[in-house]
Amino acid sequence: MLPGVYLHVPFCATVCPYCDFAVLVGDGDRRERFVASLIREIELWGTATTPELVGADTIYFGGGTPSMLAPEQLGRILEALRARLPVAREPWISLEANPEDVTVESARAWSDLGIRTLSLGVQSFDRKALEFLGRVHDPDAGRRAVELALEAGFDSVSIDLIYGLPGQDEAAWRADLEAALALGPDHLSCYQLTVHRKTVFGVRKRRGELVEMPDDQQAELFLFTHRFLNDAGFQGYEVSNFARAPEHRSRHNMKYWNHTPYLGLGPSAHSYSGRRRWWNHRSVGPWERAIEAGERPVQESEELSDRQLALESVMLKMRTYAGVDLAETRGEVGLDPAIDRAVLERLIAGDLVVRAGSVIRPTVRGLAVADTLARDLLS
Amino acid sequence: MDNVRNFCIIAHIDHGKSTLADRLIQACNAVEERKFRDQILDQMDIERERGITIKSNTVTLLYDAQDGERYKLNLIDTPGHVDFSHEVRRSLMSCEGALLVVDASQGVEAQTVANLYLALEYDLELVPVINKIDLPSADIDRVAEEIDEDLGLDPFEAVQTSAKNGVGIDNVLEAIVTKLPAPQGDPAAPLQALIFDAQYDAYRGVVLLVRVKEGTLRPGRKIQLMHTEKEYDVEEVGLLQLERKKDDKLEAGAVGYVIAGIKAVRDIAIGDTITEADNAAAEPLPGYKEAKPVVFSSIYPMSTDDYEDLTKALDKLALNDAAITYEKDSSSALGFGFRCGFLGLLHLDVVQERLKREYGLSLLLSAPSVKYRVLLEDGEELEVENPMFFPDPANIATTWEPFIKAAIMMPERYIGAVMDLCRERRGVNTTFSYLAVGRVELTSEMPLAEVLFDFYDKLKTITQGYGSFDYELLDYRESDLVKVDILVNSEPVDALAQLVHRDKARQRALHYCEKLAETIPKQQFKIAIQGAIGGKIIARSTIGAFRKDVTAKCYGGDITRKRKLLEKQREGKKRMKMVGAVEIPQAAFVAVLKSETDK
Ligand SMILES: Nc1nc2c(ncn2[C@@H]2O[C@H](COP(=O)(O)OP(=O)(O)O)[C@@H](O)[C@H]2O)c(=O)[nH]1
Ligand code: SF4
Repeated sequence: MLPGVYLHVPFCATVCPYCDFAVLVGDGDRRERFVASLIREIELWGTATTPELVGADTIYFGGGTPSMLAPEQLGRILEALRARLPVAREPWISLEANPEDVTVESARAWSDLGIRTLSLGVQSFDRKALEFLGRVHDPDAGRRAVELALEAGFDSVSIDLIYGLPGQDEAAWRADLEAALALGPDHLSCYQLTVHRKTVFGVRKRRGELVEMPDDQQAELFLFTHRFLNDAGFQGYEVSNFARAPEHRSRHNMKYWNHTPYLGLGPSAHSYSGRRRWWNHRSVGPWERAIEAGERPVQESEELSDRQLALESVMLKMRTYAGVDLAETRGEVGLDPAIDRAVLERLIAGDLVVRAGSVIRPTVRGLAVADTLARDLLS
Repeated sequence: MDNVRNFCIIAHIDHGKSTLADRLIQACNAVEERKFRDQILDQMDIERERGITIKSNTVTLLYDAQDGERYKLNLIDTPGHVDFSHEVRRSLMSCEGALLVVDASQGVEAQTVANLYLALEYDLELVPVINKIDLPSADIDRVAEEIDEDLGLDPFEAVQTSAKNGVGIDNVLEAIVTKLPAPQGDPAAPLQALIFDAQYDAYRGVVLLVRVKEGTLRPGRKIQLMHTEKEYDVEEVGLLQLERKKDDKLEAGAVGYVIAGIKAVRDIAIGDTITEADNAAAEPLPGYKEAKPVVFSSIYPMSTDDYEDLTKALDKLALNDAAITYEKDSSSALGFGFRCGFLGLLHLDVVQERLKREYGLSLLLSAPSVKYRVLLEDGEELEVENPMFFPDPANIATTWEPFIKAAIMMPERYIGAVMDLCRERRGVNTTFSYLAVGRVELTSEMPLAEVLFDFYDKLKTITQGYGSFDYELLDYRESDLVKVDILVNSEPVDALAQLVHRDKARQRALHYCEKLAETIPKQQFKIAIQGAIGGKIIARSTIGAFRKDVTAKCYGGDITRKRKLLEKQREGKKRMKMVGAVEIPQAAFVAVLKSETDK
């Protein structure tokens, strides 16, 4: 697979109470300064980028809320990318958008920029859930945004949903999923709510005001989600991702789980070259200052050992339905992840993974505990 | 000899024994201020922290009394716990008198009474000391009354002190000189010297602390230890004045030290009698009892890499702890370790603390056990103190376990609750008698194994701290003994096996199962924890499988963080003990085993 480019846009209209991304509420001037810095960062990388990153064929605007940038600003960034970085001629461009930013005009403008996947942060079609999540839009706005996006003729329209809210039952979640499916999207990302420490929810949890869904129920809901969507023709391909057809899978995100190199630009963005990982300053300030000083805004980097690469490879691939092909890992990276046979047999007997030749794949129950599979499988 | 006094100080914990000792030492200038550490007699940290004195230390004070004479006052420190009661007895045997310290605000406490009776057993003359008279809550009249009524001592003889402020110290010294008798003995008689303690000196080897009863100890003479029948050449004798002070002899009545080229404390026996090889006494002094280990436990290093260090630490520790025994042991769950024998639970605790503190070792101890006797069907007889070596029940004809005679002293009002406790602990022939008005001594014959598990603490709670407990080994009695195995997913965990009376088996097994269920983290599969006798399951608990453990999002930026977490978990996994396919964190062993020894 060819490498990808990720652009982190750190702005949001408000900061959601569950969000632990590097985001800020910035006004127009702030955003314009950011765009200038981002373009400067692109120039700083220039063609000097490592060979592994040459020929990137996906470009992904994430955040934050990249739809808060004006189409004209997005256009300038893309222009800089094409001019300064060795990207493919026709890269697949994706944009994350919040429902309130989707209008007939903006959709057309994005389309004209060559954006092919629109990923909509709808989160829920349930009013109460949206309120709980602190979202500014209402269910109708979510619906309208999806309809507009579909009408605008993007190659792929994806809906982001959050489930596993405190007190949510299967029926409520099912209704949400049905509401989403009724709109006819191409792709769904369903994220189980995670309460991070340094968020409003985290504080409320520590104070005892917010009680997370018990583990067992979370597990049930996770299994239900996969069962339900797979039955509905939305084939799961990763822990939280489902697509109507293989071509609608997130081309860019798949690279993360495949161990394909990518270059990350913007504050907090991470990059991976196949041997090395590095990451930018998390906050906009230091990121900007580094760029102003004419330096790449890299905060830190690490060289990966063979063992670490093997661990990552298994860890990431065991998040996918495809699982890990040991023969391929050996061939591609020249690595031989040492699998603990006894553990493998136990996991197979426990219906957590299946094996076919050199491929080990998680079952849906296995996906529910994917974080531990790699830990236990590698001896 | 008329100018010698040998005495000790006995007191309930915290009533001021150590502080008073410090003041006496200071008053006699036995130490320069500069060198003075508070509570100088309590040397070891552990003792200080626990407020108990384990190793007795002795000091000779030179006191110029009001009668114009200079006296040698030998203060003999006494350890304060039942495990060491033989040591206490030995110290008492070296004295003619004792100061009985009572806190002016707390009054007479259980331990004061226990100590009093012990002192009377050795015919010691007693001087009551009412300490802490500086406290606003001091009630000297009431305490004087208690001294009269509860202890049967003359309250008018009592010396009032504030050890803290140095008040009344001279009166104490005068009382020692005037009220306590001088030792008796004949310096020309055949030598009889009681070894009441021993210390280890890295340069000189073993330093014996002795009380010379008859005869004279001189450097250059050949001595014989009457019980061990070993002979040594005396290299040096002298007085203990916090530092050793060389002298040319120790005569009858004296207390001092002897260095005689002895390599390790285990070569000698506390309580033994020293005599001269070519002019031996007819018989040794009474009171010798071999200190045999009665409590056993396996000690494993937390990290298997530390086994070498543990070996070295035990070798060193044994140089000045004659009572501990140890031999190599191994567990499939915990690796290599040592099976150790102790005088009692406190001794075990002290050794464990010292290994941790002085040698920086992190340890895991198996459940303490006693030594059982087993008669096999084929007539062979065995002694078993390690559950791992318990024979197949099918081959066992009879089993016996050690019984003790427990003596519990307490105020009368607790008698009902304490009798219940004894009954619960399989106590038999429980009787009680009045020591004084309102004070009772209860004696009960019970299995030693039953006091190994949180007995002291239960007793303390029940009697609100007023109960004191002492025991002596009685005999072995037939007992229906079983080996309880703890199984994790049907695999026995050897380090958790234990020998218990059949009636207690279920309760104990259940306790283990529950503790393990609390402390073993959920894993990918259901884990069954069972307690079993032979093949029969008597207790069980289960740990459900965790069913969800996956982060919802894993994109570009999350990978490093996730990998690092995994690496950390894998590192932690190395410290897990594998039983079958189940990972058991050390914390689980600690929790299970601790819940009993530390209670
Ligand atoms: N107020 C007061 N406190 C004292 C006196 N003697 C000892 N103490 C305090 O009582 C506590 C116990 O004393 P210590 O000598 O360690 O008692 P031990 O356990 O009998 O050795 C310590 O905090 C001492 O400082 C005294 O005469 N007056
Ligand atoms: S919109 Fe997304 S990035 Fe912005 S605050 Fe909410 S969750 Fe965070």
